[in-house]
Amino acid sequence: MTALPPEFLSVIAEQFPADFLSVDPAELVEYGRDWTKVFAPAPSAVAFPRSTAEVSRLMKLCTQHRVAVVPSGGRTGLAGGAVAARGELVISLSRMRRIDPVDTLGATVRVQAGAVTEAVHHHCAAEGLTWPIDFASKGSSHVGGNIATNAGGLKVLRYGLTRNWVLGLQVVLANGEVLELNGALEKNNTGVDLRQLFIGSEGTLGLITEATLKLTRLPGHLDVLLFAVADLDAVLSLFQTARNGPFTLMAYETFTQICLNRVQRARKIRPPFETPATQYVLMEVERADAAALEAWVAQLFESGAVLDGVLAANATQAAELWSLRESISESLSATGLPHKNDIALPIAALQAFTADFETLIATRYPEFEVAIFGHIGDGNLHVNVMKPDSMEKIEFHARCAQLDPEMFALVKRHRGSISAEHGIGLLKKNYLGYSRAPAEIALMRGIKQLLDPTNLMNPGKVLDAS
Amino acid sequence: MKILVTIKRVEDYESKIKVKPDGTWIVTDGVNYRANPFDEIAVEEALRLRDANMPSEVIAVSVGSELSVNEIRSALAMGADKGILVKQAGWVDSDAVARCLQKVIEREKPDLVLMGKQAVDVDDNVTGQLLAEYLGWGQATFASKHESLESAEEKAKKPGVKLAADKASVEVIREIDGGLETLSVKLPAIVTVDLRLNVPRYASLPNIMKAKKKPVEELDPKALGVDVTPKVKVLKVEPPPARAAGIKVPDVAALVQKLHSDAKVI
Repeated sequence: MTALPPEFLSVIAEQFPADFLSVDPAELVEYGRDWTKVFAPAPSAVAFPRSTAEVSRLMKLCTQHRVAVVPSGGRTGLAGGAVAARGELVISLSRMRRIDPVDTLGATVRVQAGAVTEAVHHHCAAEGLTWPIDFASKGSSHVGGNIATNAGGLKVLRYGLTRNWVLGLQVVLANGEVLELNGALEKNNTGVDLRQLFIGSEGTLGLITEATLKLTRLPGHLDVLLFAVADLDAVLSLFQTARNGPFTLMAYETFTQICLNRVQRARKIRPPFETPATQYVLMEVERADAAALEAWVAQLFESGAVLDGVLAANATQAAELWSLRESISESLSATGLPHKNDIALPIAALQAFTADFETLIATRYPEFEVAIFGHIGDGNLHVNVMKPDSMEKIEFHARCAQLDPEMFALVKRHRGSISAEHGIGLLKKNYLGYSRAPAEIALMRGIKQLLDPTNLMNPGKVLDAS
Repeated sequence: MKILVTIKRVEDYESKIKVKPDGTWIVTDGVNYRANPFDEIAVEEALRLRDANMPSEVIAVSVGSELSVNEIRSALAMGADKGILVKQAGWVDSDAVARCLQKVIEREKPDLVLMGKQAVDVDDNVTGQLLAEYLGWGQATFASKHESLESAEEKAKKPGVKLAADKASVEVIREIDGGLETLSVKLPAIVTVDLRLNVPRYASLPNIMKAKKKPVEELDPKALGVDVTPKVKVLKVEPPPARAAGIKVPDVAALVQKLHSDAKVI
């Protein structure tokens, strides 16, 4: 652990509240890492500012004393973006969780970065509105973290990424300067949109302290359907059919029987169908007309597009069907050791990529069980390689380190992304070149240099400064 | 074996229920409806008994407005063979429901009647008992089973209510205070089911389609000779008292003090 400079600490003690900084060992571990448990947390301290002014004063001080910082939200990231492994000062936004009253006319809400995603949902639901960023960790994740990672999730198909739902941003730069970007404007065509630079920057360019969020109406009646289908081909053609269905498609998710087996081993969830199939599709639709939906479904069975299917009869069943999909990740961890990748491909290339990937596994890694699930409607696959019971952990990690570049080469060949929504963080930094050209990386480095010349903002994440 | 199972349309407990300002009933606008969960367990048990004792037939019966046909269809989609709706709009009390069911049963002559132990809307828990009295039949209430809902028997969809070899009685394990009691009930009989008897199956989409073609007969209480004028009058409906807001205490000592002096739990 790197100790903080004594002069820095004495200014903190003099000019900040007594409970501003914590060096409690338990808190250092807690705030030093995210859900990526592979890195050992080693922050020097954790700061808990209460206002943008405090963040600004703190950053000035950090620049003056060359203290590197890791911005910290709900720490639910899966790429090590919020890990402080090299003695950085963690700046937790957890005390900055104010949510202003909803502007019902403009359909916006101003929040501090530490507001918990689900709390924002509850706050806006009272007005019939929602911030449509939704994923399994919404009960812990912060709005600031969602924005810094341009979070995806379960409703991207319907609403797009976080990027689409941020109107204004307040950012503190490394030198303490406070930027107010775009206010609450939908339209502002006055040059480069600086706000977008910070969305998805993983805390490497500045520290997000407040945001004005764009809201939309709460969806109407939602139906949840689960289908058993023959193979990936059937998943994709059903997707094409569903996009033209008599409803608004809210989510289109897929998982394999391998995933379902793991879910049933880990959790006491009843199987949805009597006969197992290879592949499943979970669909959520907002519908206006029940009869039209039923007719659409009837025609799926007549044409043989699906093997079997269930329609949730009530909210309890809908939640049960969703839980099949949402508990895959935790079930894989509960029943073994998964090596996770989160990749994106053009939807048109999914079939060809999967065939190539299956060949790769069958010829070079036949000992691996591969659990694939994902937001197929967004071309996003979560590829989980499971450690065979007979293999030592160390050998497994070594084999995965071999597999990753081979898989990423396939991703590159099919013009995909090595990180669809989890980000780059520490975990995927060495592989950035598979998705970004050298010229792009040089530009990203230049922007970093401009905004954070002394490399204090989440250093070593996404790319190395030089 | 002929099994009759009852199914009631009730407010979905996931809906937010509000009381009407005048206190006469609840606000029904925006409320979702579903089959009474206890009745779904009864339907599941009926299907298991039928499948274990073929040839058999399952008839789903509801007493309620024309919308109750939705819940009959959901029982048919689960696998019931035919439906009967005793159509009566508006509030029908449990006694009138029992009397309607009595007439249907006298006509259909089932060997066994399976019902939810109560409906989750008004929580009366009397219809099964009244019906047994009016028919002069034996009854076993709160049917449960020894095996857990995660057991192999449950996964194999084995019935918890067991038909005797001579088909003249059923063995019912029922939940009582502090344990389980095993009864043998001579058929025909009324059995009401509890929560831990089984996990109802999903209605598959192909079965939902097929259910549309299954027959649902409509009957009129008057034609059955039943006077459905309520004997129970709802005087007033009120929401449970709102929970008082929580308080913040500065430290552990203050918390302990409050727990002792205000909450009186330590």
